[in-house]
Amino acid sequence: MQTEIEAGERRAWGWVAALRAGATTPWRDYAGTADRGGRYLPGAQQLELLRRLNATGRPGPALVERVLTASAPGRGRPDLQLVGAAEESAFGPRPVDPADLPPAELVRVATGLIAEDLVAAGPPPPLPPGRPRPWRRAYRLVGDPWLADPIRAELRRRGRPPGGRLPTILVLGTDLGSMLADAWTARSFAEGGSGWREWLGGFVAHDRMPPRADLVTHARTWAQRVGRQRVEIVIGPERLPGLVGVRRALPAPPAYSADAVDLARRVSAPLGLLVLPDPRAQLLRETLGPRLADAPGGPLAVPPAHVEWVQGRATRMRDALLRAGYAVHGDPDALVPDAPAEGSTPDDAGVLALAVRLLLDHGDRRAEEEVSG
Amino acid sequence: MSSRVLLHVGTPKTGTSYLQDVLFRNRKVLAQAGIRYPADRFDAHFLAALDLMRMPWGGLEAEAIGAWDRLAEEVRSHRHTSIISHEILATASRTQVGRALTSLGHDDGTEIHIVLSVRDLVRQIPAEWQENVKHRSGIAYQAFLDQIRDPARESRIATWFWGVQEIPDILDRWGHDLPPERIHLVTVPPAGGAPELLWKRFSQVFGLDGLDLDLEPDRANPSLGAPETALIRRINRNANRDLAPADYRPLVRELLAHQTLSRRRRSPRLGLPPDAYPWVNEIQQAWVDDVTARGYDVVGDLAELHGASPGGWSDPDQPSEKQVAGAAVDAITALLLENARMRRTEERLSAELAETRGALARSYLRPTYRFREKVVRRLQGGRVGRGMLRAYRAARGRSSRSA
Repeated sequence: MQTEIEAGERRAWGWVAALRAGATTPWRDYAGTADRGGRYLPGAQQLELLRRLNATGRPGPALVERVLTASAPGRGRPDLQLVGAAEESAFGPRPVDPADLPPAELVRVATGLIAEDLVAAGPPPPLPPGRPRPWRRAYRLVGDPWLADPIRAELRRRGRPPGGRLPTILVLGTDLGSMLADAWTARSFAEGGSGWREWLGGFVAHDRMPPRADLVTHARTWAQRVGRQRVEIVIGPERLPGLVGVRRALPAPPAYSADAVDLARRVSAPLGLLVLPDPRAQLLRETLGPRLADAPGGPLAVPPAHVEWVQGRATRMRDALLRAGYAVHGDPDALVPDAPAEGSTPDDAGVLALAVRLLLDHGDRRAEEEVSG
Repeated sequence: MSSRVLLHVGTPKTGTSYLQDVLFRNRKVLAQAGIRYPADRFDAHFLAALDLMRMPWGGLEAEAIGAWDRLAEEVRSHRHTSIISHEILATASRTQVGRALTSLGHDDGTEIHIVLSVRDLVRQIPAEWQENVKHRSGIAYQAFLDQIRDPARESRIATWFWGVQEIPDILDRWGHDLPPERIHLVTVPPAGGAPELLWKRFSQVFGLDGLDLDLEPDRANPSLGAPETALIRRINRNANRDLAPADYRPLVRELLAHQTLSRRRRSPRLGLPPDAYPWVNEIQQAWVDDVTARGYDVVGDLAELHGASPGGWSDPDQPSEKQVAGAAVDAITALLLENARMRRTEERLSAELAETRGALARSYLRPTYRFREKVVRRLQGGRVGRGMLRAYRAARGRSSRSA
């Protein structure tokens, strides 16, 4: 007669087989059984992620195997056992009902797989730079990196690369609330780091500005290098074409939902274990970015609790720039957000839903295509 | 393919740095005995472990890309015995263990042995807190204890602590597919014992007896006293925001903690608060009972896993301010001396730079240089001249535009 534990293990293997076949039944409701199907049972996080994939779409066999053999990258809870599947051990983490796992645990497993997908896909081919125009204006574009990077790339493509003889330094900015969101977005699509609330809260608590959004420091650094007369503040990217000598409009940065940015941030960590920092940023911006373009959800916004601090810092920034005597293009008061911006903060459930969608769309690669760690 | 792989997977703070240092420095002697320690830098196995477990580590992970596969390849290409050792491997998941064993040839007949060096929790708990502090953490000792005593074990600290310290669970993950005679536990002798005893045990389990090895340590991970750890914690809380990880490692961890404050041996040592002993004793007894029943090869004595009974207790959360001030004076002195050394280096480099600039300026003033400069300027003014310059540069084989 089989013991209760043996019955639990057979039930667990039955659930694994059912999930492989596309089942969506939660562990607590599953009653089937099967013989042992491998060296060890996959972790609860992996099994629950597969169940969510089944509930959302039809993962192919390659993706199913990748999920079942994945380990969550980085530090955090280890692969957990299913409650009721094995003898309750006095050691190791407690077994869990996978339905009780917080979404962040499933996102950890998913981000490791998404990072592998990005490496396998590689970056898109680079656009060739345009032939340099001899009559182009000499400029350098600094400031809000999320605004400035695509503009700089486009100008390079149009044959107007930054630099030249005695260039004007254009320090590009917009309202501080947007610049803070841009700074965290640029960080998420590069080195990753802490979450939006924790990141912003740290600066608020210490009343400091993140370097990427600190126009005063950008301007001062360049003024010390080239002289104050050659540094100009540009408030709003719509003023740039005239300043760099082009007629056609320049591109706006991609607009992502708060959840999409947070997913990029979380993918950045495991991706950093597969490729070096420069290719990581390129893969995040150019390969992952387009996949996130139509992700649902509101854009990133400063939480209401911090709006007052942002307004205060923006006022100080405006005053410091005016006091320093730089030429300013645009309305300096536009640096100060007059009301909380409409938008949202990242939500774990939304990030998980997005990760599941990405895996279904791009994760079903054949085993031979997979990237070894 | 290796016939035998000895895989040392932990635990931290059990003499692993010393062991790895000896193995790394004596690679040639080991190779002559048919033992490969495949490493081209002292932390090669650490990087491989980061890669295997996909674990970020303050930017070091960028150096770890592909390191495990390279290590496994080196092991597979060796015919005899290979040794791999890093303590963070203790926290690998079953999936990662499966990948590691497969990559080392487990499925193709390689005889894989797991070695786990272990020490009593009475010493391991404060040592782990101290490691946290030496890695920029500002957590108080009591908060650390609360987190690891929480049965849910959901915090990052608790997850890591038990992942690298819970002996039966580590052996479940690493040893579930291996016969018990291929799993070796090396116990760390109690404090105050003969210092060479631990090495003798390592030597026995790794088959190094009789080899002429240089055992003088180059690297060690020395421990700090209670006031010194409290000082580092305060520094972390004050300086973390401004001090980049790349600067923290050489200045705080190496210069202050390892090279300066660890020399203060007369200050009270870190220990367990008296009320934690019953809890720790209960855990350790359960571990000893479990490991004994599994029939592993034990080198040393499992009784050593019962830590020493409580002696004097010095709370690092409420240290003697006089002792902390003494440690701070030593720290300031070390920083001053380091600063003075760097100033001398800066002065020397400035002098060298000035000398180079002077030589460059003198060469610019030479009539031949001025003549050549004039010729180039004139040639650049016309199309024919530019064509001649291009032809000259092509013939010369490299750009002379900067000349």
